[in-house]
Order: sequence, then structure tokens, then C-alpha cells
Amino acid sequence: MLGLTWIRGLLARRRGRLLAAASGVAIAVALLASIGSFLASSKATMTRRAVADVPVDWQVETQPGANASVVARTVASHPGVARASDVGFAQSTGFEATVSGTTQTTGPGLVLGLPQSYRAHFSGELRDLAGAHTGVLLAQQTAANLHAAPGDTIQMGRAGLSRATIRVDGVVDLPQADSLFQKVGAAVGAQPQAPPDNVLLLPSNEWHRLFDPLAVTRPDLIRHQIHVTTAHDLPNDPSAAYTLVTGRARNLEVKLAGAGLVGDNLGAKLGAARSDALYAQVLFLFLGFPGAVLAGLLTAAIAGTGADRRRREQALLRARGASTRQLLRLSLMEAIAVGVLGAAVGLAAAWIISRVALTSTGSGAALAASVGWSIAAALAGIAIAMAAVALPAWRDAQSTTVASGRLSRGRAAGPRWLRWGIDFALLAGSAVVFWITSRNGYKLVLAPEGVPTISVNYWAFAGPALLWGGAGLLAWRVSDLLLTRGRPLLRRAARPVAGRLSGIVSGSMSRQRRPLSQALVLVALTIAFASSTAVFNATYRQQAEVDAQLSNGADVTVTESPGTNVGPVQATALGRIKGVKGVEPIQHRFAYVGADLQDLYGVRPRTIVGATRLQDAYFQGGSATALMSKLASQPDALLVSDETVKDFQLNPSDNVILRLQDGKTKQLKPVRFRYAGVAKEFPTAPHDSFMVANAAYVARMTGTDAIGAFLINTGGSSPPTVAGRVRATVGPGAKITDITSSRKVVGSSLTAVDLAGLTRVELGFAIVLAASATGLMLLLGLAERRRTFAIASALGARTHHLGGFVWTEAAFVTLGGLLAGLVTGWAMSNMLVKVLTGVFDPPPAALAVPFVYLSGLVVAIVVAVLMAATASIRATRRPAIAMIRDLA
Amino acid sequence: MTATVAATKALVVCDGAGRTFGSGPTAIVAIHGVTCRIEPGQRVALTGPSGSGKSTLLHLMAGLDHPTVGSITWPAIGSRMQLRPGPVAVIFQGPSLLPALDVVENVALPLVLAGADDDDARRRAHIALERLDLDSLGSSLPDELSGGQAQRVAVARALAGSPRLILADEPTGQLDRATGRQVIDTMLDASTHSGAALLVTTHDDTVAENLDERWRMVDGCIVPDMTAVPGGEATCSA
Repeated sequence: MLGLTWIRGLLARRRGRLLAAASGVAIAVALLASIGSFLASSKATMTRRAVADVPVDWQVETQPGANASVVARTVASHPGVARASDVGFAQSTGFEATVSGTTQTTGPGLVLGLPQSYRAHFSGELRDLAGAHTGVLLAQQTAANLHAAPGDTIQMGRAGLSRATIRVDGVVDLPQADSLFQKVGAAVGAQPQAPPDNVLLLPSNEWHRLFDPLAVTRPDLIRHQIHVTTAHDLPNDPSAAYTLVTGRARNLEVKLAGAGLVGDNLGAKLGAARSDALYAQVLFLFLGFPGAVLAGLLTAAIAGTGADRRRREQALLRARGASTRQLLRLSLMEAIAVGVLGAAVGLAAAWIISRVALTSTGSGAALAASVGWSIAAALAGIAIAMAAVALPAWRDAQSTTVASGRLSRGRAAGPRWLRWGIDFALLAGSAVVFWITSRNGYKLVLAPEGVPTISVNYWAFAGPALLWGGAGLLAWRVSDLLLTRGRPLLRRAARPVAGRLSGIVSGSMSRQRRPLSQALVLVALTIAFASSTAVFNATYRQQAEVDAQLSNGADVTVTESPGTNVGPVQATALGRIKGVKGVEPIQHRFAYVGADLQDLYGVRPRTIVGATRLQDAYFQGGSATALMSKLASQPDALLVSDETVKDFQLNPSDNVILRLQDGKTKQLKPVRFRYAGVAKEFPTAPHDSFMVANAAYVARMTGTDAIGAFLINTGGSSPPTVAGRVRATVGPGAKITDITSSRKVVGSSLTAVDLAGLTRVELGFAIVLAASATGLMLLLGLAERRRTFAIASALGARTHHLGGFVWTEAAFVTLGGLLAGLVTGWAMSNMLVKVLTGVFDPPPAALAVPFVYLSGLVVAIVVAVLMAATASIRATRRPAIAMIRDLA
Repeated sequence: MTATVAATKALVVCDGAGRTFGSGPTAIVAIHGVTCRIEPGQRVALTGPSGSGKSTLLHLMAGLDHPTVGSITWPAIGSRMQLRPGPVAVIFQGPSLLPALDVVENVALPLVLAGADDDDARRRAHIALERLDLDSLGSSLPDELSGGQAQRVAVARALAGSPRLILADEPTGQLDRATGRQVIDTMLDASTHSGAALLVTTHDDTVAENLDERWRMVDGCIVPDMTAVPGGEATCSA
């Protein structure tokens, strides 16, 4: 009965404070529920996409001497196998085509025999480029090598047998060539096998007709694989899905008893996804958990602003005979009211957020996981309310006497941790943990290939967490110092706002140093969280873009087939295509450095930046601009890899003799270059060793200006659309890729999930938290002192006098919080990016600072402060005596 | 009874001033039309039972509230805006010190509000505190003071600005008799020393006996039999 009366009273008289505390809980619940649901949903997305990206789940290779039909039957009957198709692989001695009076020949190639149903079952393995989509199909590069097109006739060599003449029906691309031509059963960690240059695809019956005789004479040139699609009844979690799929594959190998080996493409893809899933979990911990902690701190701080009043009310109740147990029951009821209201509002907000900002898989299991997260978030919200509202009340009920409770807290003593130096200890701990983590190469997630268990180095989280906490406490120490020993400074600083009252205002602030420092720290922690999250996300986006740019080269890249001789004049034709803003030709040659064969890229140093972005981080020994200028002014300048510099002990300006193929004689000839710098990355270049030189010099010295690729800048037009137009113009002879598609191919499954949605949610929450922390803390802190202002008003203080108190405190909390928060945020961003190095490919050379967002954050905080301060000042305009009477 | 009030030198003149809280059937008339005046140096005890309207009348005289009927003027001072800080000082019933300011700052605050610079205000605050033997409490916070000490500091704050009219609302209401006596003596000494007029609301006869005159309020009126006061007059038109 007393409890209900108490709650009714709270709702009637303390509605604002109750709602403010509930809003803190709501923020925590909404953040946890939405990010948790996102995590569950994104794990399911990762599994789904991993499965969708694999056209052939297993490639079961029949081992020499084994009975292929027995292997096929065993595979087909294995649990979990949905479809199985027999694919033949035969080695050809080479292909030849005579087109338009010239004859082209190729080296050895591979001929695949595909069943009629193969395309329907494994649609991702082939992509039509020209002609029919059934019959005899020529791989794109082979077609380019032979200058062959649909309808042409080619000769196919068979070892020890007569050549076969075949009519080409179509030209196809093999997008999954790496896995299709993998070496099944290769040792874990072995170098992947490069796909063959020349590939011909035949219908199964035709293949048998042509190669069954070869299987008799040269069985070593014939292989059989069973391509399998498994049942995709997998768990949402990539890790669990990986364990299931690899278990099934191993079980099949055991059944085959050495007759076949399983190339587990699905397992490999899920293996990559499981470490990405763990990284997503790590991101949740790094980015979501601090937000929830902040919301909890905000709730505690909001509840704390009414602590004096609560103590007085408790004292009054005790004076009227209430027992400690009854007081506790009342505070528990208040905490439950705050918790339940906050949880309900938070869950509703999370539901809206997941609909608006995040894409949901909508699958049953993901939905169940989301419900689980929602329940956990609601419980966390109630726990926060208990800790923020009931715990301090319990502590007070244990220790406060009636007399002491009726007094407000006057001279605030400094917290004990200030004397113990906990802040310094936390910062030192952060440095030590960071140092230990860096010795490990910042490896957070360890997912050894072929091993079902993966581990996360959660210890590394301690570094940024300790930095965050330590910096917050240090900000408290500095604030406390400024408010006590720094009073003369504070007085001078307050003079422009408070005028003659600056001395009294600084004195008042000194006595209020506990709540003021608390508010400042909360603002600082929120800004540190918001800014570090924003910088991390911006850096992540930047590097994903860099990765895609490096892999694809430019918005759209036209890669000429090896052996073709397309000159730079082709750029003019490409430049006329709608949507093309700029075209940059790049030579691609192979050159011997000593015995090493390396890629050599010839560029036009003055214009290359028009089509692609060159970052300083790609180079060593000078900035991108400086090294391109050097290539321009010194045509024989050469940029080489770091490894080459070490291997050949190169010093700047040393001569480097490369052996390059002469355009006319096709023989290798020595060409002198001078070492000018190191290229670590370059658009379209491989990750390992390569070289960059001046294209004009290379063309002059080799007698050919043949281009390897054209980099196209679309100037904002849709890259896939422009790529389509280029493809229609150029035809199937060249490979055309666009950056949008490239992002999907090169990006991990982590980048493939809707990280942008998560970013929006986190950054939105960060702004809400920052604005709430500053605005609500000020508003409630000032509201608690309405009687003080009313008395001052009765003594003759005008609005501008009271404004002096309000604005000085607001400026102290806001500016101090901003300064401490931005400095901490900068330090945390650096640490986060280092600790989460594994997420970035390539690692960033510099942080990307999202100035627009940070400006928005500052504006949101300033607006919240202005609103809170203005509302507080406006509230003092009521007749002073009415306020004194109401608040007595 | 009605009277024409001569308003030449009076510090405060109430001309049929009344105050009603709320409106309609729930309206509460706190003061009926009161006509009274306070001259410089006059020391009045305003007595009456709780709820009789003493505090409301004091608030009206202090310019902290507005009459709903009649008028209040301060002929010797000026407009309402010129009352505080400066010529009129108010001592409130119960704790009225600002908890975040120490004793010196509490006393200095009205002086700074009146335009004194910080150092001068603090110097004058120290003098006011010394006069009340409170200088040893200068750096104490209100929560560290006893009720009597706090009320004496409030008196010191009222006196520091050398006001011409001190309005004290039940200044001894929450104090024991001895402490109350001490506070009243302090105010009387200060009034004598500075020549300030004094109006003290109280329902304690022993307090009232220390003042030169006594007005009695009953049900929002200053009752007629108690209005015969030298140097001033008070009536009620209800």
C-alpha cells in the first residue's frame, strides 16, 4: 500500500526525474538489443552469403586406381549430399585456331567434361560472355589467346592421339577458377595453385568420346571429380556451420576409404566467415558494450542528481517510523518502475531501429536470437536501474542518520581513488596491455585453417578499456584540481560570463565539484566513445575502399588478355563511352630481376592520379606525388618492392638491369633502370613483389606500347552501369571489372554484412548519449538547485546574474568534457585501429577523421547545453517566493 | 475603516493591498485590503496566528509578490525594481543560505548583486560577520552551521548592505528561546546602529515585546484594536 502511494507520488511529483532515469535505461536497452540483434542477424547473413558464394560445395576427387562409379555412388548416398555431378578433367597438349588467315597456338590446357545438368546445378561456376550457353565452350582467356569467337573451329591436341577438331559454340568466363582448378588434398597452408591459362569445356558425352581413349593410354592425364551441392540446413553461426560441414566432409572421406579426397569449398568459405563472425563479435564488444556502460553511467548520474532530495525524503520517512526494510522496498519499487519503463521504451526503439536502419534476415533462427538479445537487453536495463537507483538508496539507508539525511551534502570530499592514483594505474595498465598485444602482432582472432576451434584474444580488449576508464578518471582529477586549486584561474575564466559574480560563481562551482566533475567525465567518456567509434568506422570504410581500389585498380578496369597487343590509343575510344570521365592506360609486363620473374607496371606518372587514387602509404622513400614526379622527370626510375631492395641490397640511384621481352624479337633483352623508391601496393598489382616504371621509357626500350589494362574513372556514374557499356563496346576479348562487384569479391564476409547500418546505429546512439549526458546532467543538476536560484532571486539576483551561474557551469562541463573527450577519443582511435588491425586490409597509414560527423556531434552537444541552460534560466523567471514556497 | 495615507517619507505604503491565491471557488484570500505604512526607523512586530497572512504581507512589502487588489508603493525608495538588492533586506523563515556558498560568500552575494566588486563585498561581509561575532564561521558551509548560526548569518547578510528596511519573516520560528533571543537582539542592535526600519513577523509574544510597536493580523486583516501606532497607521478594508 505504502509502495503504491510512493510510486503514485513519484509519478505525480517526480515525473521528470523518473522519465530521465528511464530514458537512460532505454538508451542502454535499445543499444544492446539493436546491436545484439544485428550481431545475430549478421552472423546468419555471413553463413547465408558464404553458402551462396560457393557454387560447388565439395569437389570429391577420385584417386588414381579407384573405381569412379563406386566413388560417385558413395558420394551421392552420403547424408547431407543434395546433388552430385561427375566432372571429367583431361589435359590437352594445346589448342590451335586459324582465324582471318592467322594461326594462333597455345600451350597445354585443360579440357573439362560437364554433364548436361551442370549449369543448372552449379550456376555460379560459368558466366556466359558470347554465343551459345551449351555445347563446346571456350574460356575467355583462351578465346582471346586464340582470337577465336563462337562459330570458329579450333584444333585440340591429345597426348599420343590425333588432334580433334571442334567448333566453338560459346565463350564463357570462369569466375571461380581458383577453386574449380584447385589441387584437392593439398596440405594445409600450401600455396594455392594458379588456374590454367587455357581451358575448354565440353559436354560430358563429347568429352568421353574424345578422352576415354586417352584414359586407356595415358591415365595420368585424366581425372574425375564429383561436384557436390550439400543440404544447406546449417546453423546461423558460421562457426557452428563450419564445424557441421567439415565434419560431414571428413565423414565422407572416411567412407571413401582413400578412394576419394574432398575439396571442401564450403568449409573453406565458412572457415573465413567464422573468423569474420568473431570479429563482428569483437566489434560489438568494442563498440556496443561501452555505449551500454555509458547509458548505465548516465542513468546512475541522473539518479544521483536527486540523491540529496532522496536522502532527505528517506530521513523524513525514517523520522515517521519507516524501517530500513520498508525504505529498501520503496527504492526497489522505484528502480523496477524505472527499469521496466526504460526497458519497454528501449525495446520499442530497438524494434524501430532494426526496421529502419538495419536489414534483418528475417529467418526463424535469427529471429529467435533477436528475441534472446532483446530479453537479455531488458534484463540488463533492469539491472542498470537497480544499480543506479536502488543500490545508492540501500547504501544510504544503511549509513544515513535522520539528522544527516536532512542536510544536503555540503563540502564534497574528493573521491578516495584520487588519493590512491587509480587513474594512473589504469593508464599504465592500458599501456602495458597494449604493448603485450602489439608483441603478438595484434592478432585478436586465431582461426587456424582446418582446426574447428577458434579463439579470441579478449585480453587485448583490456588495453582500450583501461585507457577509456583511466582517461575518464584522469579528467575527473584535472577537473577536481581546477575546481579547487585552480579557482583563481576559474574566476578569471568565468569573468566574461559571470562578470562581478565570477568569484562567487567559482566558489559555488568549487563546492559543487563532485557533480560538476561527474558531469564533465560523463561528457568526456561519451565524446571519447563517439569520436573513437566514428574514427574507427571512417577508417574501416576508407580501407575497404582502398582495398577495392587496389584490387580493381579503378572504378572500372579493362584488363587486356595476355598476348594481345592493344596500344594506348584505345583509351580515346574508351573515353567516348557515356559515363567515362577519364581513362588511364597501364602497361603490364613480366620482367626478370636476376632469376625472379616479377610483374612490371608501366604508368604515365603525370596522369595516373586522374583515374585511380594513389596513397602515400603505398610507397616508401617518398610520397605518392613525389615518386610519380620522379618517374616523370627521370624516365628510367624504377620503384621496386621492399623485398627486392633487401635481396639485391639496393641503394637510391643504383642501376637495376631488368630483362624484358622485346616487342619485335620476342626475346628477352636487358634494360637499365635506376632504383628510385619502394612500392608496397599498387592498383591491380599483386600483393607480392612487383615493379613500377615510366610507361614511355618501357615502350621505348622494348619497342612496344602494348597496354595491360585501362583504368577508368567514372566520375560518380555507377561503375556497374559504365562497366556494362564498356563491355558492350569492347566485346569479350578483354576482362571488364567494376569496383562495386570487386568489393563483394575481395571483401570479407564482414564487409559484406550491413556494417553501414551498424555504423549508423552506433553513431546515432553516440550522439543521443552525448546530447543526453550534457543536456540532462545540466538540466537535472540545475533543477535540483532551483531553490538556491529562487533565494538568490529573492536577494535581488536578476536573470543575467543567475545566467552567470548557469552558463559558467555549462561552459565548464561542456568545454572540459569536449577537450578531455576528444583527446581521449584520439588516443583510443589510434589504439583501436592498432588492436583491430586484423579487420583492416590493407592496414591504414593514417586515421580517417569524419569531420562532418564530429562537427555534428559537437553541434548536438552545444544545442543540448543551450536548451538545458535556457530552460533552467527560464524556470527562474517564476516569482521567487512561489518557488521557495513550492520547493520548501 | 479607510484612511488616506500620506506617502511622503514612508518606506512602504500599502493602500488597500490584498492577495488572493487561485481563482474561482477554490480561491484563497490570504490578505484582504490592508492599508498601512512603515516610516524610517520604525520597528514593528507583526503578530498573529499561523495562516493569518503575516508572511504574505511581508512578501508584498518586500516586492517579492504582487497584490491582487490595491497597491503597494515605496515612496522613499522608488520602484519595485529598486528594492533589492540594497534598500530592502529580507530574512526568510527557515534555511535561506545558499548551500554551495560559504558564509562569507553568502553574506557578500547581495553586495555583489548590488554592484560591489568581489573584494569589496567580501570585506564588507567580514565586517558584518564580525559585528555579529560570526567571523570565525566565515569559511564554513551552511550545512556545517547550527540553525541559530545559520539564521544569524542570514541576519548578517541582511545587514551587510546597510538596508533602510529589514523585513524578517519568523526569524526565530525554528530556534530555541535562547537562540531566538540572540537573533532578535542582533537585529535590534543592527537596526539601532544603522537606523533601519524593522518589520518582524512572529507569533511569539516575547519577540514582539522587544519591538516598539505591535500589529496583529487575523484572517488577512490587521485588526483595528491593534492599529493605534505612533508614527504610522494600519487598517484593513475587509
